[in-house]
Amino acid sequence: MPNLVSDFTTGRYDVGFQTKMPPAISAFLRALILPMLGVLVFTLLWSFSASKIDTSLGKFPGPGAVAEQVVNLYNEHQASREKELAFYERQEQRNAARIAKDPTYIPKTRTFTGKETFVDQIGTSLMTVLSGFILAAIIAIPLGIAIGLSKSLNTAINPIIQIFKPVSPLAWLPLVTMVVSALYVSSDPMFAKSYIVSLITVTLCCLWPMVMNTSVGVASLNSDWTNVSRVLRLPTLTHIRKIVLPASVPAIFTGMRLSLGIAWMVLIAAEMLAQNPGLGKFVWDEFQNGSSSSLSRIMTAVLVIGLIGFMLDRSMLLLQRWLSWDKSTQVR
Amino acid sequence: MQSTLTSLSGFSKKLIAGAAIVATAISFSSHAELGYPEKEELTFGFIKLTDMAPIAVAYENGYFEDEGLYVTIEAQANWKVLLDGVIDGRLDGAHMLAGQPIAATIGYGTQAEIITPFSMDLNGNAITVSNEIWAEMKPNIPKMADGRPVHPIKADALKPVVEKYIDSGKPFNMGMVFPVSTHNYELRYWLAAGGIHPGFYAPHKGDTSGKIDAQALLSVTPPPQMPATLEAGTIYGYCVGEPWNQQAVFKGIGVPVVTDYEIWKNNPEKVFGITKEFAEKYPNTTIRLTRALIRAAIWLDENNNANRKEAVKILAKSEYVGADYEVIANSMTGTFEYEKGDKREVPDFNVFFRYNATYPYYSDAIWYLTQMRRWGQIAEGKSDEWYLETAKKVYRPDIYMQAVESLIAEKIVPATLFDSLESVDGFRAPQTHFIDDIVFDGKAPNAYIDQFSIGLKAQQQL
Amino acid sequence: MEPLLNISKIDMVFPTPKGDFTALKDVDLQIQKGEFISLIGHSGCGKSTVLNVVAGLYNPTQGGVLLNDREVLEPGPERAVVFQNHSLLPWLTAYQNVELAVDQVFAKNKSPAEKKEWIEYNLKLVHMDHAMHKRPDEISGGMKQRVGIARALAMQPEVLLMDEPFGALDALTRAHMQDSLMEIQEELNNTVIMITHDVDEAVLLSDRIVMMTNGPAATVGEILHVDLPRPRERLALAADPQYNHYRSEVLTFLYEKQRKVEPISTKTKDSAIKTDVKSTA
Repeated sequence: MPNLVSDFTTGRYDVGFQTKMPPAISAFLRALILPMLGVLVFTLLWSFSASKIDTSLGKFPGPGAVAEQVVNLYNEHQASREKELAFYERQEQRNAARIAKDPTYIPKTRTFTGKETFVDQIGTSLMTVLSGFILAAIIAIPLGIAIGLSKSLNTAINPIIQIFKPVSPLAWLPLVTMVVSALYVSSDPMFAKSYIVSLITVTLCCLWPMVMNTSVGVASLNSDWTNVSRVLRLPTLTHIRKIVLPASVPAIFTGMRLSLGIAWMVLIAAEMLAQNPGLGKFVWDEFQNGSSSSLSRIMTAVLVIGLIGFMLDRSMLLLQRWLSWDKSTQVR
Repeated sequence: MQSTLTSLSGFSKKLIAGAAIVATAISFSSHAELGYPEKEELTFGFIKLTDMAPIAVAYENGYFEDEGLYVTIEAQANWKVLLDGVIDGRLDGAHMLAGQPIAATIGYGTQAEIITPFSMDLNGNAITVSNEIWAEMKPNIPKMADGRPVHPIKADALKPVVEKYIDSGKPFNMGMVFPVSTHNYELRYWLAAGGIHPGFYAPHKGDTSGKIDAQALLSVTPPPQMPATLEAGTIYGYCVGEPWNQQAVFKGIGVPVVTDYEIWKNNPEKVFGITKEFAEKYPNTTIRLTRALIRAAIWLDENNNANRKEAVKILAKSEYVGADYEVIANSMTGTFEYEKGDKREVPDFNVFFRYNATYPYYSDAIWYLTQMRRWGQIAEGKSDEWYLETAKKVYRPDIYMQAVESLIAEKIVPATLFDSLESVDGFRAPQTHFIDDIVFDGKAPNAYIDQFSIGLKAQQQL
Repeated sequence: MEPLLNISKIDMVFPTPKGDFTALKDVDLQIQKGEFISLIGHSGCGKSTVLNVVAGLYNPTQGGVLLNDREVLEPGPERAVVFQNHSLLPWLTAYQNVELAVDQVFAKNKSPAEKKEWIEYNLKLVHMDHAMHKRPDEISGGMKQRVGIARALAMQPEVLLMDEPFGALDALTRAHMQDSLMEIQEELNNTVIMITHDVDEAVLLSDRIVMMTNGPAATVGEILHVDLPRPRERLALAADPQYNHYRSEVLTFLYEKQRKVEPISTKTKDSAIKTDVKSTA
C-alpha cells in the first residue's frame, strides 16, 4: 500500500493505471482515492503542525481535539433538548396550576429560553443566509433584467452599482442595525431584530453580483434569439418570460453561486461583529470564553463553516444543472 | 444554613450598634398578595464576568420560573452595547456596572433613566500588570519572611516604572472596561493613592477621553479581551473583574497586583439595571425579578459559600462565562492567585449576599458620583443635596424592600436573613477601609472630595 | 400580374464611426407568389441586408418593401425567417421551439389539439417527428436546421426567408436538406427568398437567381430565369446541358464580371464593417 500511495502521489501510476484497468474503475478510484489522499495528507500535516504551535490557551487544536469537541457539542445539544422538554413540562404544570386558581386565565406557551446550541446556531445561520439570498434574488433578478434590457437604465444605474459593489456589507452593518432598530418596531415582532439585520446584510452583499451577472447575461443575449422573438412579434412580457429569462439562466446562476459564496462568508463575519445569533456568534463567544477547549471548539466551527459553504455551493451547482439548459457548467 | 444565619445576625448586630440610625421601621407584616407578572418573557443581558452569577443561578435554579418569568439570558459584546440594549428595549434588564445607571440618569454618555432595585455583589475586581512591568515593580515592594511580597501592594511601587516610561517617551497605557465602570474609578483610586495621575475628563470641552494631565493613560477594552490585549502589548496593565485576572495568571501573561477588596474593602460592584419606564409599566414583574435575584444571591453565599463549587460549574458553561472551571473557581471559592503559585485566601473576594450586599444603598451611588466629580466627568461642583437627590432617582431600596417583604410573607426565605435591614436608612456607616485610609461618609460628599490630593476639588472646574 | 412582394428601390446606409457606409444602393426586385428566388453574390455584398430589410429587421434608408401592397415596417410571422445558425432556443425541445411560434401565430384561431396537430405536421414535414422531444444540443446540425425550417413553415408565412440555411452543413447533409426542401416546396408551393453561396444549390432550387454586385453600394446585377422542369433530380441534372449552362452563367457573373479583386487589407476592412453592422443589429 505505501508503494501504491507513493506511486499515486508522484503520478507514476497515471499511465499504467489506465492501461491495466477498465477506464470506469480507474476513473472511480481516481475520484475516490485522490481526494481521500489529499484529506489524509492535510490531516497529518495539520496534526503535526498543531502540536508545534503553543498559544496562551494551550496547544493549537489538532484533529483529535476537534473530534472530541464534535462529540461534546453534540452531547450539549442533546442535553439542551432534554432541558427543553423539562422546561415545557414545568410550564404546563405552572399554567395548569394557574388555571386551577383563576379559570379565566388563557395559558400561553412560551418558547424555550435556553441558549442556542451549536446545532441551533448552524440552523440559524443557514436560515439567515438562505432567506437573505432569496430576498436578494427577488430584488436583483428583475432589476438585472431591466438594466440588461434598457441601455438608458444601465447608463443611469451603473455608476451606483459600481460604487456600492466594492463596499463590504460589514461597513453597512452599523447603519443597517440603527435603521432596523428605528423602523422595525413592534411589541410582538414576528422576527428578531438581529435576524432582520443579518438578513439585510446578506441581501446587500448578494445583490450586486446578482444584478451585475443578470444584466450582463441579458445584455449579451444572442441576437438570433432576439430576432426570432421579433419575427414572432412576442409581446414584451412574453419576450422576457420565454426568451430573456431562460437565456440568462446560466448567467443568473453564475451570479447566484458567486453571491451565495460571498454571503456565507460575510454572514459569519457579520454575526461575529453584531453578536447576532449564528455560527459567527458561536465563534466569537468561544473566543471570548477563552477556556482551554475554546480553540478546539472554534476549529470545529471553522471546519463546519467550510463544509456548509462547500455544500451550499454544490447545491447551487446541482440546482443550476437541473434548471439550466447550459449543461457545460464548470464544476470547480 | 444555621451557621450563616448566626454569622449574619452577628454581623447585623454590629452594624446596628455602629450605625447612627434614623429608624425607618420596616414592617414585615404580610400585605396584599403579589400579583402575576405583567410581562412574562424577558431578556437579560450580561457581560462574561463571574459577578453575573446571580442571574445565571436564578435561571438554572428555576427562581425566575418560580416567579412565572421566562427569561432568556444573552451575553453582550461590551458595556456600551449592553446599556444601549436596555435603553432601546432589546434587553429588559441587565447586569450593569454600578456607575452605568447613575451616569445614564445624569446624562453622562447616553441619557436615559435607568434604575436599580438590586445590587449584585461586592468586590470581585483586581488590577493586573504584564510580566515585564511586574519584574520592574517587584524590587520596589517589601517582602515577607517567606520571600513573597507584602500585600496590599500600593501604586507607589509602580510610580518609578511609570516615570521611567514617560522619561523615555513611551506612553504608559492601561486598560479599564468602561468610562463609568467601577474598574475605572478603582484603577484611578489606586494609581492616585500611589501618586500617579490618571488624567481628567472635561465633557464640557468635549474631552471624554479622560487623559488631561495624565501620567497613566487609561483606555476602554471589553473585559473578555483584556488578557489578549495585554498579551499583544497594547496595554501594560488593566483593572477588570473575574475571571480575567486569574486568566492572565493561567496563561502566564501577567500578574494581578491588588484586588479591589484591598483598595476599598467590600465595595459595591455590579447592579441589576432596568429602565424606570419598565419598572413603572411592569411593577409586579420588577418585584418578581428582584425576588428571584435575591434568592440566587442567598443561595450563592449560603452555608459559608457551600454552593460556590456548583455555581462555578454553572458559570463555566459556555453560555455564561465559559472560562475553565479552575480559572473561575480560583476567585469564586475564596482564594486568589497573584504570582503563579502565590495563592492567598480572600474569602470575601466575591460577596453576593453577606453584608447586605444586595441592598441598593444611596451611599454607594453617592460614592460613584463623588468619583465622577473628582475626575471631571461631572464638569462642575454640585451641592450635597444634589448628590442625594440623584442617588434616590437611581437606587430604589423601596422596590428591593417590597421584594424582601413578599418573600418573607410567602415564607420563601426566613426573615432572620434580613434582620440587619430593619434599621437601614439607605446609608452605610462612614466607611474606613480604603487603601489611602480616607474615610467616606455618604452624607457629606463634597467634604469627601476635598480630601484627595490628586483630583478636582468639590467646586473646582477645569 | 401584381407581384406578391415588391422590393422597391431600396438604399441602405449604416452609420459607422468612420462615416456612413452604403451597403445597398437602388435594389429593386419583384417577386410573384410561389416563386423560389435565390440571392447569390460574394460575401459582403449585402445579400443578408436585403433579406433583413424584407424581414423587417432593418428599415431601409430609401425606398421600401411592399408585401401585398402593404409596406413592411417591422418583423412579422408572415415573413418567417430561417436563420443561418438555426437559432433554436436551446432550452426548448424541437417540439417546444415550434410550439413557441404556433402559440404566438395561431393564438386565437387554433384549439390546443389543432395546434398540437399542426406542430407535429410541420415536424413530420421536415422528417423530425422521431426526435421532436429532443433539445437542440441532443441533435445534429442538419436536424437543428430542419427544426428551424419547421418553425418557419409552421408560421404559415406568405414569404419564407432563408439566410444561407445550409451554409454550416457538410456537403452530404446539405444535399439531403436540399432534396427535403424541394419535396416540401412541391407540397406547399411557398414563396421563398433564399440566400446562398453555393452555385449548384441556387440552380437546383430556384425559379430565378438574383445575382448581386459587390459592395459597397451593392445592387442587383443580373437576374437568371431557371427554366428547368420540376421535380428536379440532382443526379439527372448533373449531365443536363441546360443545367450546366445556367451554372456557368452564374459562375461567369461571379468570377468574371464581379470578380473580387481587392487587396487583403481592404477585405479585412470590409469584413470589419460587416461585423460592426451585425453587432449593432
